[in-house]
Amino acid sequence: MTADTTTARPPARPSGAGGRPRAARRPPNRALLGTVGVVGFLLVWEAVPRLGVVPARYLPPASEVLATLGERLALPEFWTAVGDTVMTWAIGLGMAFAAAVVLGFVVGSVPVLRAFTSSTVEFLRPIPSVALIPLAILLYGTDMASTLLLVVYAAFWQIYIQVLYGVADIDPVAEQTARSYGLGRMARLRYVAWPSALPYMLTGLRLGAAVALILTITGQLIIGTPGLGQQISVAKNSDATALVYALIIATGALGVAVNVGVRALERRALRWHTSVRGEEIA
Amino acid sequence: MRRMILPAAAAAVTLLASTACGGGQDGGGGDSGGPQKIKVGAIPIVDVAPLHLGLDQGIFEKHGIDMEIQNTTGGAQAVPSVVSGEFDFAFGNITSIIVGRSNDLPLTIVANGVTSTGEQGADFGGVVVPEGSDISDAKGLEDKTIAVNNLENIGDTTVRNSIRKAGGDSDTVEFVELPFPEMPAALERGDVDAAWVVEPFLTASLNNGATEVASNFVDADPNLSVAYYFTTEQIVNQDPELVDNFTAAVNESLTYAEENPDEVRRILGEYTEMDSATIEKIRLPRWPTDGYKKPAQSIADLMMHDGVIEKQPDMDKLFQ
Repeated sequence: MTADTTTARPPARPSGAGGRPRAARRPPNRALLGTVGVVGFLLVWEAVPRLGVVPARYLPPASEVLATLGERLALPEFWTAVGDTVMTWAIGLGMAFAAAVVLGFVVGSVPVLRAFTSSTVEFLRPIPSVALIPLAILLYGTDMASTLLLVVYAAFWQIYIQVLYGVADIDPVAEQTARSYGLGRMARLRYVAWPSALPYMLTGLRLGAAVALILTITGQLIIGTPGLGQQISVAKNSDATALVYALIIATGALGVAVNVGVRALERRALRWHTSVRGEEIA
Repeated sequence: MRRMILPAAAAAVTLLASTACGGGQDGGGGDSGGPQKIKVGAIPIVDVAPLHLGLDQGIFEKHGIDMEIQNTTGGAQAVPSVVSGEFDFAFGNITSIIVGRSNDLPLTIVANGVTSTGEQGADFGGVVVPEGSDISDAKGLEDKTIAVNNLENIGDTTVRNSIRKAGGDSDTVEFVELPFPEMPAALERGDVDAAWVVEPFLTASLNNGATEVASNFVDADPNLSVAYYFTTEQIVNQDPELVDNFTAAVNESLTYAEENPDEVRRILGEYTEMDSATIEKIRLPRWPTDGYKKPAQSIADLMMHDGVIEKQPDMDKLFQ
């Protein structure tokens, strides 16, 4: 392994500095390309309605939308809506994560239970959360709880399946070594099962976080629970096209923030793991 | 150990937060003294301006009601939310209420919601055709594709009626379901031959060069009330005083709105996102406080005719 990595990266690296030099060389490029990409996209967007390819009343130019967004950022209602959206997302994801980890560990570590539930899981998992909207409205009306139902349902499976894989991935040799060293059930869970499953759990969390945000906005848009999605719906009903686009951009920005946040968490919690640490020491 | 603490603590915190938020906060009436707290569901469009004005002007407070208006995304959620008790009252269109009633849901109308202007070609809703269309009247809608916001609802039943009244065959029309905000674009692209739109999309379409070919509400009944404020029989029986107060407050708000169109346009700038140019131009509906029961029968008849409902709803029970 060690030989492999060194030959794969021939340029001399200062020893002990980990992946730093590599990190220092690439990102500026990436950031530059990223900026060029965004600017290019905005230019195309600005041009399309101005050239009359699409009527401006259906797609206002980027400058108009960004100006509308700027005005919004100064309004407290906007931030209340952002707060509602983030809260629904966080509560939903938290509930899904807690339930999925507990159930995943229990079901995953008892083979009989796993076999017993697998067909049910395979049936329930593909049900699109959106199909549960009528049920959610019947159960919780237009309260935040009905959007939470969608969010928890969708995010739960993403995390649960990962936890199941994680528990199944425990190295049997490590497990038996731990046993022969006389580690108890709790100690084995802590020192063998947990570190093996943690990367899977965090992958599940990352996937779940994105899905949870999608369903949060969907619920607000369709059911009308408070938040950015509901504001989009109000703007739509008021024929305020530029505002609709501005709010859509805001939800996109929120999505980027969520992804960056969860990735940072992942790196932090897994800093000991080879996928994050690189393979120098291995 | 720290590795473990981070996610575990996060999970614990979110669990706590969720249980804290899950408990309590049930709508419903307050107990003793002070204004009674109620929740009213209403879609944020022009029609419900009186409700927002009434709140703004302290009319509900004066009648001992502390009202919270919850924005809904349409009548479809209003009915189940009222039945489940989440809303004490809601604004809903007449067909949704009649369908509910004919399915034996205990819905009761307590006040008028919004009424047609009664003027041909100057109502707050109508059928429009795109620029250059050869359709010039309701009879011309025969064999055509028309967009409505909901199938088997007030749009298609009243448009069919307009076609019949103009001497056309209403059975040859094809209706497609589209949200109002998407209709002007669909018209322009030619996806549909005509669209039934309400404000602000009626004015928007006309500005884009569309032509109005039918005033379907006026054709159904010049005094047609398109929507009402409703509740359930349970609330009427349990708390008749609250219902009386609500009805009185809504009626006063309707009258205030009817007499102060400038106020209506002002409040539209607050609870909707319409820009000021649109608000200036749109046609306002009427908000009378009586004479709204009889036209509901016309709608029930049209719905029977079209087979949307199978039995006549009990109109005496429908209206308080």
